Amino acid sequence: MSNAKEKKYAKRMRNQPSNVSLSSDIGTEQGHRPRHNERQENFQQHRDSHPGPSGQHQRHPYQSHGTHFHGRGGKGRGAPSEVPLVPKYITATMFAQARAAEINAMVKAVSQKSSNTLVFQSLPRHMRRRAMGHDIKRLPRRLREVAKKEMEKSAHLKKEVSKNKCRKARRRHGNLQLEFNRRQRKNIWLETHIWHAKRFHMVKKWGYCLGHRPTMKSYRACYRAMSSNCLLQDLSYYCCLQLMGEEAALLNALSRLTSTETGPSFAAALCLSGKRQGSLVLYRADKYPKEALGSVTFLWKPACVPDSPSEKRQLWIWCHPTLKQDILRELRQVCQCEEAPDIAVCKPEPVIAPQPAKPQTTPKTTAKKRKRKDQEGEQAVPVKRIIGDGTRDSLDPYYWTSKHTAIRISDLTMEFVRYRLTGPLSHSVLTEALRSAPLHKETESDAGPHTWWADYCSNPENVRLHTLQESMFQLLQAVGSPAEFPPGTILGLTVGDPRLNLPKQKTKAVPSVEKYEDRDQVKSIKLNGFPLECAQSFIWASDICSKVTENKVSEQEINRMRSELLVPGSRLDLGNSESKIPVLLIQHPGKRTGTDRPGWGSGWDICLPKGWGMAFWIPFIYRGVRVGGLQQALQHSQYMGIPDAPGDFPDCPAGVQSAKETEDSLLEAYKRRPPAKRANFIKHGVLAPFRCPWEQLTAEWDQRAGTVTKVPAAEKEEETTMDTNQEGEVPQGTVTEAQEDVRMEPGSQGTMGNELDMEKAGGAGVCVLRNKRILKELCTLCSLCNQRGPRSKQIPSPAPHGPSDMLLQVLHTFPRSLVWVRLTMLTKGTPELHAMICIPSEQDLVQLATDKSFAGPQEPKHGDPIKKKVLKHQKETKKKKAKAKMEKEAPQQKEEMSRDDDSDQLTLGLWPNPLPPVISHCCRTLLGFVTHGDFSMAAGCGESLGFVSLTGLIDMLSGHPVNRTGFVLVRNPSSLQYRFAKIMVAA
Amino acid sequence: MAEQKSLPGRGLHTRRPAPRPPRSPSDIYVNTKTDFRAQLARCRQLLGAGGLREVRVHGLGLAIGRAINLALQLQLSHPGTLLLSPSTSTVELTDDLEPEGGEDMEPGARNRNNSAIHIRVYRPQGE
Repeated sequence: MSNAKEKKYAKRMRNQPSNVSLSSDIGTEQGHRPRHNERQENFQQHRDSHPGPSGQHQRHPYQSHGTHFHGRGGKGRGAPSEVPLVPKYITATMFAQARAAEINAMVKAVSQKSSNTLVFQSLPRHMRRRAMGHDIKRLPRRLREVAKKEMEKSAHLKKEVSKNKCRKARRRHGNLQLEFNRRQRKNIWLETHIWHAKRFHMVKKWGYCLGHRPTMKSYRACYRAMSSNCLLQDLSYYCCLQLMGEEAALLNALSRLTSTETGPSFAAALCLSGKRQGSLVLYRADKYPKEALGSVTFLWKPACVPDSPSEKRQLWIWCHPTLKQDILRELRQVCQCEEAPDIAVCKPEPVIAPQPAKPQTTPKTTAKKRKRKDQEGEQAVPVKRIIGDGTRDSLDPYYWTSKHTAIRISDLTMEFVRYRLTGPLSHSVLTEALRSAPLHKETESDAGPHTWWADYCSNPENVRLHTLQESMFQLLQAVGSPAEFPPGTILGLTVGDPRLNLPKQKTKAVPSVEKYEDRDQVKSIKLNGFPLECAQSFIWASDICSKVTENKVSEQEINRMRSELLVPGSRLDLGNSESKIPVLLIQHPGKRTGTDRPGWGSGWDICLPKGWGMAFWIPFIYRGVRVGGLQQALQHSQYMGIPDAPGDFPDCPAGVQSAKETEDSLLEAYKRRPPAKRANFIKHGVLAPFRCPWEQLTAEWDQRAGTVTKVPAAEKEEETTMDTNQEGEVPQGTVTEAQEDVRMEPGSQGTMGNELDMEKAGGAGVCVLRNKRILKELCTLCSLCNQRGPRSKQIPSPAPHGPSDMLLQVLHTFPRSLVWVRLTMLTKGTPELHAMICIPSEQDLVQLATDKSFAGPQEPKHGDPIKKKVLKHQKETKKKKAKAKMEKEAPQQKEEMSRDDDSDQLTLGLWPNPLPPVISHCCRTLLGFVTHGDFSMAAGCGESLGFVSLTGLIDMLSGHPVNRTGFVLVRNPSSLQYRFAKIMVAA
Repeated sequence: MAEQKSLPGRGLHTRRPAPRPPRSPSDIYVNTKTDFRAQLARCRQLLGAGGLREVRVHGLGLAIGRAINLALQLQLSHPGTLLLSPSTSTVELTDDLEPEGGEDMEPGARNRNNSAIHIRVYRPQGE
């Protein structure tokens, strides 16, 4: 018997009782062995029974061929005639007793099923019937019991999806709504979710379900829409925080979070009046320039009465959902309406995870619990839940009031819908889709449900304002592009129900030449924006917003009324009962840095009260906009050259967290490939292909420049104590991240380690330079270097002898800062994520000067010193695994598992965690990393955004021959080729 | 072309894009970035295969010279069949100024004039 056959035989025999063997064996041995076995068995089990005649004829059963078991044959049925010893008589009891064990085993084997097949599958073919799997009655009666059990078992195993109902029942509105509500319990849906889910690749991110990119091929089409048509995005996942209080108190508190060095703050004159939206970067209280929290946009509610100092002002801060918890915590602290400071100290929770409600730790606050509006229990038809917020548990408090300053912070996440229209056609889309709300008509008998509108219209002053806003809104058509308005202009408006003037077919809104005019009024709004009173809107009043949401006429109702129209297809006129929706239009200015394409990507944001999302979405779609997702948002910010939240904020906790997530996903994808089919990054000389080791980079540059500022010991201690105080406020994700970094550090950086620890204890150790003055200085330094052309030759260039005094001073105080830079490839090449920015050598520049098409130097291939180690390690683990398998002991296996995790640190082709010095690892000195890189369809060449070390940048700009210092080398992690790029600092 | 030069005596400013009326396919806005031959080929294509009777070539500021050049080259390539009628105008441009005296002060905006040329390149009616 061959080896395989033996194995097969062993497998078949596995479940057999020891005294029964298969017939195939017997054919050759003529039953000698079985008899022997049987004898032994008999003697062991029945000592008292004497070997009767039956015992002598035991080989009979095994002599027939063809079937497995022949226990029954033992009863003397059909013994073949060629066997000479046929007994004359049999004593039944003795006979049965001798075979008791055999029979028992047989019965057991019959009753126990050894294979995985179901009962009806084991039936012979001629006994099978249609639909046996479902209908037990189609089985032979003797198998029904077993089949019934099996069916029950499989019913349990199946997930209890609503499959038990038929599709029609499942799709019935109420049931569908129930299902939807269940599905958005974990990741919140936006109001346009269903629309998006049908057309987009959805991702679960930041506690929401968001559309990433359209399923149809439209990458380039979306770019075209942004630059020449109109692109629509749903930004409702952005969080709105509202601060209410006296102006002075608010400004006083908020000034601790910002610095005017980075640009206009909350107190900027135009923003404070409510005319414009502002944007800034928040820092932890009094920590500037370290410990950023992230970028936000803000708008003040326009002061209605001519300035009274004690008036309550209202401020909205819009931020990214990953930043919300940090910002909220810091706001509570500066406004002195903080909860007990120990909140979330040791709760291991990611940034977005909902906080557990802690009523006992909130002695100072008057925290109210938000009531859920879902009444699934009481109502037959479940209501669509509009309330919902992925960034917060429903039980969490959503507003906080301070006793000292009377400031009230409330979290208005998901209370508003925010859409973004980008592109020059957004004016025509807005003006075509929206229509100013009709005034309340007193003459009509039906007052309608909108009493607030009736009250408002009773005042002639208000009517005047409403008509003014309407005329301003109509003037939008006279302006070609949103970029022609002052940045951040706000226009408040009350519009009618946009569903009523929906066109019958999808049309494309185009600007008309007739509407374009250049009158004085247009000129003045282009120069100064809309008049101040035009920024008023009822969207600031929460009671009116909730009324508007409640009184929304449902889609169904509108369709019903439409079908009852006398002239089919004519416009539905609801009179006074038509909804009036307060909206806010906010301009976003587009590209404002650099020389080319000024104003690219400008457009309007529109804020609506919740519940009205789809009612506005569809009318926009019907005006021929294209819809983009997160990918398009990224593209938008990339082409504008602005950092994208939260990935491009390496100094804020959310940025660190997002970098960690990116690293994990990239590493996982990398490990999925076999080693021979993936890049060996060690050989490429790439130390960290999946992340950017900012701390190490800045620290090494600092060390190299020899400007390590000695911090006095006392101050250091103070810092650490402060840091420990703050550790409670740092989300857990960051702390662990920092700790990990610390762990990787000491190996490479003996002396620096300690210092780094201290910095990192409070958050990310790096800080990003956002001081406008210094950035401008750097910008001019760069642009002077970059200028090459007929004009710059005439000017005897003022030769940057080196950095000015101010820069040197900054270098001295913040040697470890990063600078946001933009790179444009000189000739070929498309930079990728985490590409390295390096300093070219003198020789490279000389070569470039002689040969314009010089592509760039090549990195020599590196050796792989750890390959052997990894392979050895892998072998060992394999051996251990094999051992553990042999022993098959649970604890052993567990140990093995943990060892496995350790071995994950060593991956073929990646440097293990304590990285060697990064900046001098390759033949060109490392300056920084690319965080966004792509072929820019706007510029027509590779463009990238990233950070470089300030020390390194200044070192480079001051050290090189003057004419060429604006060039750097960029190398992708997957290649050995360096390519030239122009470096620009965005001021 | 440098946008943000810190010239003494003049505050920093950011330019807003020039106003551009809605355009038909026959309006050609000439810039200094696009390859000149490409612009010329586009105009030729419009007048030849595109079947348009006229194109209007617009140039603003630095691009005036290029616009004139483009129109003349067009005329050269269709000898005797194309006529030019130029006109000039002034375009009001807007700059956002940096706030003076602290970041939180009111940032100004100013209007600035620039000259523009509009050349109508057309086939005479008689043909």
